[in-house]
Amino acid sequence: MKTVIKTSELSKVYTNTAVPVHALKNVNLEFKEGEFTAIVGPSGSGKTTFLNVIGGLDKPTEGHVVIDDVDIATMKESQLFDFRLRHIGFVFQAYNLIPVLTAMENVSFIMLLQKKEKKEMQRRAKEMLEQVGLSDKLDVRPSQLSGGQQQRVAVARALASKPDFVLADEPTANLDTESAFNLLDIMLRLNREENITLIFSTHDQRVIEKARRVITLVDGAVDKDEYFERN
Amino acid sequence: MITLIKISWRNIWRNRSRTLVIVTALILGIMGGIFSAALRLAAEEQQFEDTIENMISHIQIHHTEFIANPEAHYRIPQGAKVAAEISHKPGIKVVSPRTVFDGMAASANKSTGVRIKGVDAETEARTTRLKELIQEGNYFAEERRLPPAIVGQALAAELMSDVGSRIVLTFQDIHGNMVSASFRIEGLYSVTSRRFEETTVYVQAGDLNELIGDPEAVHEIAILLDDADRYRQAAEELRQAYPDLEVRHWADMDPTLHYSLEVLDQLLIWLVGIIILGVSFGLLNTILMSILERVRELGVLLAIGMKRFKVFSMVLMETTLISVIGGIIGLGLSYIMIRILNVRGVTIPGGEGLEDFGFASVLYPRVDLGFYFEIGMLVVAFAIIASIYPAWKAIRIAPAEAVRQE
Repeated sequence: MKTVIKTSELSKVYTNTAVPVHALKNVNLEFKEGEFTAIVGPSGSGKTTFLNVIGGLDKPTEGHVVIDDVDIATMKESQLFDFRLRHIGFVFQAYNLIPVLTAMENVSFIMLLQKKEKKEMQRRAKEMLEQVGLSDKLDVRPSQLSGGQQQRVAVARALASKPDFVLADEPTANLDTESAFNLLDIMLRLNREENITLIFSTHDQRVIEKARRVITLVDGAVDKDEYFERN
Repeated sequence: MITLIKISWRNIWRNRSRTLVIVTALILGIMGGIFSAALRLAAEEQQFEDTIENMISHIQIHHTEFIANPEAHYRIPQGAKVAAEISHKPGIKVVSPRTVFDGMAASANKSTGVRIKGVDAETEARTTRLKELIQEGNYFAEERRLPPAIVGQALAAELMSDVGSRIVLTFQDIHGNMVSASFRIEGLYSVTSRRFEETTVYVQAGDLNELIGDPEAVHEIAILLDDADRYRQAAEELRQAYPDLEVRHWADMDPTLHYSLEVLDQLLIWLVGIIILGVSFGLLNTILMSILERVRELGVLLAIGMKRFKVFSMVLMETTLISVIGGIIGLGLSYIMIRILNVRGVTIPGGEGLEDFGFASVLYPRVDLGFYFEIGMLVVAFAIIASIYPAWKAIRIAPAEAVRQE
């Protein structure tokens, strides 16, 4: 299988605090195409920092993040904007949809930034919303959707532009059990059907139990990297 | 671009009441600015009409000694010829040679000090608006036994006289001898300046010159220009052409009027400036608040790959839309307001006292259509300037931190 992300000797130190914080310490990991990975660990273990760094939202203090043969750690900020737009999908804990846009427009938004053709954009957005079970909510704004529904729109948004991989920072943290399972099922299905690489940070046991790979971070370092057979 | 406009449009209506407040402030600001400008233009026009075009004209020429010492023998050498020469110069609309004496006007009841101006009825009617200013009686139209005089309504009241009354004008002739002659009041004129109305008497130059013994006498040449704004340049040209004569433009003759117009100009600039600045700060505050409320959302836009320039443009677009809404409504309402006030007039509180200084107590505001456009552009320009700081704040957001905000 093709390697989508490779990190080597990845370190991140926050120096804008009273005492420097070593959020990541020499993290060496590889993610293969189509993997469904959960990054777990206690609060402050570096899960979010790891996602931010491999997602190009934050720069590592040392080390490399190679995606598609390109080391994004050396990229300029303007290049990173474009890189994120074309290669990475994001799902956030607080859904973070654009409140003034409808579900359909939210899902189309990234494709719009990618300057995709309008017809293709609409077709794909509709298809994605159908995939997440929201074909009856195309013209509804986020404020009229439940938390679970909003997060499903966020998943549709992240996947619509067919990114190389999707980073999801605690996507089920704000959801009730039913919505969380529902979302997980959708994500697993999309992972299988669209062969999209999914990387979660999570505390949620429900997510961990579905993941085929679980990486445990402790104090910014990889403690365990386990693979599981799941149905 | 269309999506950017769509998002910006929806964003500005997220907090409807806040947007309406700032739009209202913009509307009131524009109306205030245009009202001030229209009033200032009305004041200027009124003063030009009343003071300059009705009374003193754009430029006057005298003997160099006459201003300090207005005695009859300080005549303009070959005055009639000079006046004829000037009337043929380019940019000169009309020239009125006058004879001027300071003297006394007496009725059967009273007497008072006056300035007597001997004019050519036809030329004067084209130089000043004296003929149009006649409120009662006629303008040098009747043939009677006594020569006609046109006096101000205020002077007639002072002398307790009326149209048809006889008055006696007394003054020194060119040899210094006292001359008295009877005139019949043929018409009463009215101007804004009460002082001018109380002290200026018009008679026909021919009648006056006969009395002083010099039929060609000219003390004053009043000049009206084609283009009122060229007064300084035209006066300078005449000074060079007639170095031995005293050439003065209206700002020299009536420095108070000139100063008051300058002050009015400065006041207007400050007033409009303060209004625009105030509204701009209001707009800045509104947009800044909306940015600070949307840190997470803007962070998400940056995180998913929207370029900082686009986020910057989006914020600018929001301000532009607000200013365009406020601008269009403000300009529309201003247009209606000015149209109404132009017909009804604006009474200046306490303005009656101002009439003694040549200011009208009722002004009729008006502005050129181009001015509406200028104000509209100015408002949008200032709105965009005011939004630069919030927009800059928006693009300084660190997406990694913003997306985690609760």
